[in-house]
Amino acid sequence: MMGKRFDEEILKTAVETALRSGADEVIAKLVEEKKYQIRFSNSSIDVNKGWDNHYLDVFISKKPRFSLTRKIDTLTIHDPDEKKVKKRVPKQVRFLDQLPKSKLYWGMDEEPHSSYPSIKLYDEGMEEFHKKGPKLVKKMIDSADEVGAKNSAGVLHSGISKTGLLTGYGNGGEYESSFCRGTIRAFHDEESSGQGLVVTRKLSNIEKKFEDAGRKAGRLSRRSTGAEQGKPGTYDMIMSPTVGANLFGNLLSGTNPIMMIAGMSCLRGKMKKKVGPEELTVKDDSLVEEGLNSRPFDDEGTPSQKTTLFKDGEFTGLIHNTSTAKFWSFINTIKLKFWRRAKTSSNSILGQMGMTGTEENPRILLPAPSNYRFDPGSYSLDEIISTSTRPTIYLTSNWYTRFTNMSEGEFSTVPRDAMFLIENGEIKKPIKGLRLKGNLLKMCENMQAIGKDTKQVKWWAVDTPTFIPSIKVGGCKFTKARGKEK
Amino acid sequence: MDGKTLAEHTVEYGMNNGADYVEARFIDSINENYFSRNGEFLSIQKKPTKGLGIRVLMDGCLGFGSVDSLEKEQVEERVQSISKMAQLSERKEPIEFSEEKSVKKNWSVPTKIPFKDISKKEKQEFVKKLDDDIKKCGSKKFSIRNKIKNRILFFHTNSSKKYIVTSEDSKVHSDESFISIFCVMNAETKNDKEQRMFGLGGSSGWEWLKEGNVRDVILRESKKLVRSAEEAKKVNFRKPLDVIVGPEVSGIMAHENVGHPSESDRIMGREKAQAGGSFYRELLGIKENNDAKKIDLDDTGVDIGSEVVSVVDDPTLKGSPGFYLYDEECVEARARYLIKDGQLNDLLLNREFASCFGTSSNGAARSAGFSREPIPRMSNTFFEPKDQSKEELVEDVKKGVLIESFTEWNIDDRRYHSKYVGLESYLIENGRITNKMIKRPALEMTTPALLESIDAVSNDYEYRMNFCGKSDPMQPVSVSTGGPYLRMRNVRIE
Repeated sequence: MMGKRFDEEILKTAVETALRSGADEVIAKLVEEKKYQIRFSNSSIDVNKGWDNHYLDVFISKKPRFSLTRKIDTLTIHDPDEKKVKKRVPKQVRFLDQLPKSKLYWGMDEEPHSSYPSIKLYDEGMEEFHKKGPKLVKKMIDSADEVGAKNSAGVLHSGISKTGLLTGYGNGGEYESSFCRGTIRAFHDEESSGQGLVVTRKLSNIEKKFEDAGRKAGRLSRRSTGAEQGKPGTYDMIMSPTVGANLFGNLLSGTNPIMMIAGMSCLRGKMKKKVGPEELTVKDDSLVEEGLNSRPFDDEGTPSQKTTLFKDGEFTGLIHNTSTAKFWSFINTIKLKFWRRAKTSSNSILGQMGMTGTEENPRILLPAPSNYRFDPGSYSLDEIISTSTRPTIYLTSNWYTRFTNMSEGEFSTVPRDAMFLIENGEIKKPIKGLRLKGNLLKMCENMQAIGKDTKQVKWWAVDTPTFIPSIKVGGCKFTKARGKEK
Repeated sequence: MDGKTLAEHTVEYGMNNGADYVEARFIDSINENYFSRNGEFLSIQKKPTKGLGIRVLMDGCLGFGSVDSLEKEQVEERVQSISKMAQLSERKEPIEFSEEKSVKKNWSVPTKIPFKDISKKEKQEFVKKLDDDIKKCGSKKFSIRNKIKNRILFFHTNSSKKYIVTSEDSKVHSDESFISIFCVMNAETKNDKEQRMFGLGGSSGWEWLKEGNVRDVILRESKKLVRSAEEAKKVNFRKPLDVIVGPEVSGIMAHENVGHPSESDRIMGREKAQAGGSFYRELLGIKENNDAKKIDLDDTGVDIGSEVVSVVDDPTLKGSPGFYLYDEECVEARARYLIKDGQLNDLLLNREFASCFGTSSNGAARSAGFSREPIPRMSNTFFEPKDQSKEELVEDVKKGVLIESFTEWNIDDRRYHSKYVGLESYLIENGRITNKMIKRPALEMTTPALLESIDAVSNDYEYRMNFCGKSDPMQPVSVSTGGPYLRMRNVRIE
């Protein structure tokens, strides 16, 4: 049962203690979570894992006298209780005096919010789900085998959590959430593979979802046997949702103002400009119930909302928290662009900041995406394939996307799993050994078709849950690695 | 209960609960981060964390879990839960660990100045001063226009006390200290733009900043970045030519083309749905996993590079980013010749996969923290330096390219098709490095072609630090990606 160690009084204690100790602003976020993972390879379970986490994050800020800017800091207390909070929070507030003022922090949401959107993020059945995990994994593997796979590898993640939030301005609340996501990579032989995904919050039809993912991976592995070395050159390209989520996810990460000021966004200077076809509309949507990053409010207690990032092919929005929205408005005012005042898009996250990617990392208050959501187009995948009369490559998965210069969008990525050559509207043969070289902005400009087969994608190579259909892009360059020169 | 006693209780409790093997890792660490953009701090943070990672082997099935609470009841509940979960795996082939002698050891990272002796103010000032110096790089004196428009500095220190105890009576205590700086810089000049991301780091105390000439190395790289943006021109080389790659590039090649395919868990398929497999599987003739036991790792007979190629992974190098003396399964660390004189010679093994190969572990088990399981990882992976100097390597090149650093790179998930795009690169003509800078020369080669093309290795060596990503959940661990200069004959530049 969730919430055994969850004591919401801790939130009040943390906020009151911080304010009493001299902080001007406080966010207290309490999380209790149970997460599980099954990893498998060679069609057999390798390890069963479980994590129990119970922590309190406290963000504090203080404006020194006669200063326009604030000092900020974040504290994490693992396994928190009143005694720990009363001891460590005042110490952290005192520690603020040793820190420099942050010119990049412009304040948090001060407006009172009396209500939050109601979204169902929790399925009670998920509490015991981890016990069913091995059977579902077996089902997924068997389904792949039934359609031609010889062995499979993959992972099943699941978990439940309870989150409570209280800010010094009285905003916040509580919500519970659950999730389940699986990846299967089925192999017909060492070089013939296909991938299937399950991404959901709910248990409804769960067995079918796992069987479908297994079957999809198995079929792709079978269809990609005997792949020939692809010929380098320029082709049109159809990206599966998995590939689109990885590549366009890199473009969309540039809608974060922090990425922009860090020189890591190729969208800088493109606001209100056409970057793609009329059919391209993308939102950051933290309210879609199935979205793995959905929630009723962000970590400042701002009610969740949808933010349009691209509208009818035009770059229209940024992912802001209160601080970056205020900063952006100020910059635009200085530039006399008064009409471009920015507003928060409820994307504030007390996220991990560090190189090790584990619980040991400190937290930082920054804007971060929730779920990216592409509007579906009007074509089925079959229609996109059948109307591809020029030589076209269909990519089903990719990994290792790296940039020459992120501010220009120049990149290459490595296709993995099944890849097919399409000629005269038909899949002609499986191919292998190619690398895609491109530019994110040019790919966006050259979009030729957006499918209606929307899927939620989240896996090892895609961090932000992304609802995206298959997408066709024209004029893509493929290269290959050379063997020994004669 | 203190962490050490709790770890010992965990092992005892797990064994009483019916496990065949239990391992508990208690880690008490302090991370400090200083994160700045153009001299302004985005965050300065210090975070102490304590936690316990637990691994159990139960009827040939593996379970792993962690707790961030030091309550006895909480830990016992976790042990019971992961033991039950492990049993649900119902493996046909039981997981076995290689036989290793039990050890009782204490080891520590040699440090002269602990991080706690340096004030926050001094740490802030180091980052601010470094940023200011980078800002001036490549700009004329008194110029208000700086050419490195964006400077992101991520300065990190970590002090950890680790206590690992196993049910086989091994107990290893370590006192570790790590310091690193990661830079992202965007140079914009009237001619062009370039971006550079690179890291330096070491297992050391505060003295590393001085002893490692950290400031000088970063400023040298900053100047070169500006020069690359200003001067480099695209050249189409129609014919194959000779290429010399510098320590940073040879380091990433050793890591990607040799280190990763040598990881035994990849070869046996465990990472196939994440970081991928390994083309070594076919090289070693493994069709079924049981075939691994037939391989003699002391004499594989598999040629994989020219005779001058030896690649070493050595965790025992003091001060290095991947330094340790005992791994996270209490096995003594040692240098591993992954390739020796052009022949595949050793793999990176932890106990689980050493058992699959019918041999002992060579101490390659690492984890990114108490909440992650130990798996086979690299440490400091590099081409073994030979006799010639960099100048001697260049002397013998009629026409070629010297690539000192790289930007974009990637490799397929079997580690066969690789690509490296040069950043700071020069034309070599008639045995000398010219002032002509080449824009973004790309080497796109298969691993065997790359390793066979090397005909000379220099005696110079320079460290670089990186965080290597692998596993699920992701486990970035610090590794060295430096090395000597390599000369590659007759290769294509795209």
